[in-house]
Amino acid sequence: MSASVWPLVRLSLSRDRRSALSSTFGLAVGVASLVFFVSLGLGVGRVVREKVFPVDSSLVEVVPASFSLGLLGGGKLDDTAVARLEALPGVSRVFKKMNVRAPAVTIYRGDFFGRPLHMGLEVLAVGVEPDFVKRDVLMGEFVDPGPDKPIPALASTRLLEIYNKSFAPQRSLPQLSGQMLTGFVFPIDFNRSFVTATPPSASSIPAQAQLVGVSDRALLAGVTIPLDVARRLNRTANLDDVTFTAVTVQTADPSAVPLVVEAVKAMGLSVDDQERRMAENAGAAVAISTSSLALLSVLICVLAAFNIAHAFSAAVRAREKELGVMRAVGATRAALFRLVLAEALLLGLVGGLVGTLVALAAGLALDATATSLLPPFPFKPESWFLRPPWLLAGGVGLGVLAAAGGAFFPARRAAATDPARVLAG
Amino acid sequence: MIDAKGVCRVFDDGERGRLTVLDGATLQVADGEFVAVVGRSGSGKSTLLHVLGGLDTGYRGEVTVAGVRLDGLSDAALSRFRNETVGFVFQSFHLVSGVSALENVMLPARFAASPPADLEARARAALERVGLPSHAARSPGQLSGGERQRVAIARALFASPRLLLCDEPTGNLDAATADDIVALFKQLNASGLTIVAVTHEDRLRAAASRVLTLSGGRLS
Repeated sequence: MSASVWPLVRLSLSRDRRSALSSTFGLAVGVASLVFFVSLGLGVGRVVREKVFPVDSSLVEVVPASFSLGLLGGGKLDDTAVARLEALPGVSRVFKKMNVRAPAVTIYRGDFFGRPLHMGLEVLAVGVEPDFVKRDVLMGEFVDPGPDKPIPALASTRLLEIYNKSFAPQRSLPQLSGQMLTGFVFPIDFNRSFVTATPPSASSIPAQAQLVGVSDRALLAGVTIPLDVARRLNRTANLDDVTFTAVTVQTADPSAVPLVVEAVKAMGLSVDDQERRMAENAGAAVAISTSSLALLSVLICVLAAFNIAHAFSAAVRAREKELGVMRAVGATRAALFRLVLAEALLLGLVGGLVGTLVALAAGLALDATATSLLPPFPFKPESWFLRPPWLLAGGVGLGVLAAAGGAFFPARRAAATDPARVLAG
Repeated sequence: MIDAKGVCRVFDDGERGRLTVLDGATLQVADGEFVAVVGRSGSGKSTLLHVLGGLDTGYRGEVTVAGVRLDGLSDAALSRFRNETVGFVFQSFHLVSGVSALENVMLPARFAASPPADLEARARAALERVGLPSHAARSPGQLSGGERQRVAIARALFASPRLLLCDEPTGNLDAATADDIVALFKQLNASGLTIVAVTHEDRLRAAASRVLTLSGGRLS
C-alpha cells in the first residue's frame, strides 16, 4: 500500500471516533484478558514446576518391586541390578541411594541462630552418591569423613521453604537461607528412636551432622548424606549395607524416559513416579484452568471481530459515494480493499497494544497487592505472572488478527464498489 | 482526444427486462474542444460520461481517449488512466466529508503510482486556480455550494488531466454561482483543457464550442 494512503486511514478513523473507540475497546478487553490469564497460568505453572514439584524430566527413580517372584534375581537393587541399569539404552548415568536402615533422632538444646531452641526429632537419612548433589554442596567434600568427624548433610530446599513460611513464624524462630544453614552442626543419634515398639538390638551410634547446603534433590523430611556414610552406619548397626533403596537413572534425553521405564519394569523393578505424577496433575490443573480462561478471552476477541465486521459493513455502506469518488480519481479495487483493511489493522494494533499494556498493569497491581496483603506461605512467589516476549507479541498479534478478520468482508465489499452506479445522478 | 465508435450499453432492468441506454453512440472530440452533451433525463448522458472516463466497463464498442484504448483494459490500467488523464466534476460535488479542502484536492495523489513530492504545493496551486486560495483548511461543511464545486474542480485539475468530464456541474448551484463556474470552465478551456460536459443548462450549452444531443442511445 502506498504510504500516502495512511493520512486517509487516519482521517477516516478520526471522523468516526465513537465507532473506532467501540471497536478498539472490544479488542482491548479480549486481548487484555487473554494476556492476563495466560501470563497468570504460566506464572503459577512455573511455581508448581520449579518450586512445589521440581521434577527433572530426564530422571527416573527406580525402586525395588513391592512384589517379586525373585526369578532371575528380579526386584532386588544390588550392584548387579545397577550394572544392568547402567547398560540400558538411553541411560547416561545412574545414582545409587541407600537409606540408613537404623532409626535416628536428633536432640538439640542450644542457640539456634540467636534464639534458644529445644527440639527432639525422629530423623530419616538417605545416602546418595556425591555427583548426584555436587552442584548444591557449598562447603567441603560430600564424602565420608570417617567415624569421628561431622557427617556432611544436605537439607531439602522445599523443607527450608516450609520452615521459613510456616514453621518459623509460628514459633518465633529466625528466617534462614541455605547459606546461613551451611556449616550448622547438630547432633544425631543413629540406632535410636523415640517411637519404635522394639528397642534396637545394638546401642546407639552418636554422631554429628554438618549442613553443607540445601538441594532440590535432598530428602524432603530428613537429611541427605554421602552414600558411603549410609553404608557404614548400616554395617555398624548390622543391617543390610548391600541392597540399595533406590537408584536414580539419568537419561541422555527426556524423550528416552518411556523406553527406560519399560526396560526397568522388564527387569522386575518398579519406578517411583509419585512426584512426577503429582507434578503432572498439578501442571494439568493449571493448564486446564488457563486454557479455559484463554478460550473465554479468545471468544471475547471473536465477538470484537464481529463488532468490527458490523461497524465496518455499516461504514462501507455509508461511505459508498466517497469510495466511488476514490475510484473516479484513480483508486484500484485492491487499493480500496487495502484502505479499509488498513483502517481495521490500525484499530487492531491499538487495541492489541492497549490490551497488552492493561494486562501488564493489572498483573503488576495484583503482584503488589499479593505481596502486601497475603501472609507468607510456602512457595509464595514474588510474582504470580510470567510474561515471555512471545505472549506480549501474541497479544498484539491477536488484536491485529481479529481486526483483520472482522474487516475482511467489508473490505471486499468496498473493493467491489461500482463508481458508475454510486456516482450517477 | 476522444474517438468512440458504436458504443452500446445495456442495463439489466430487473423484471422489466433489459434497458438499452447507449445504442451505437459515436463521438469524436478534438483536443481543446468544449463539448456539451444535452438530452432529456434518462437519455444516457451520465452513462456516456462514465464510459468515456473509464468508470463504466460494461459496454460494447471501441473507446479511445487520449490515445488510450479503454475497452479491455485491466482495473489497474483503467485506474491509472483515471488518475492521470481525466478529471471528473459531478453535480453533487462528492467531496470527502470531515476532511479539509486541501486534503480533498490531494485525493488523486493518494492513489497515484508515483505521487508528486510537492503535492501540497500543487494542491494549493489548484485551489488558487479555481479562486479559493484561502479556503484550504476549511471542510466541505464550511463551504458554500459554489465553493464546494470549485474545490471539486480543483481536485479534478490536481493531476493536470488532458480531459475534464463534467456531469451536470451547475445543476445544484444558484444562477449567479453557476455563471461563475461556467466562466471558470471557459477559462480552463481557453488554457487548452478539453472539456465534455453533460447538462440541461442553457448557460453551459452556450459556453460550449459544440453541442451534441443524445437521443435514442445515439449522438447527433
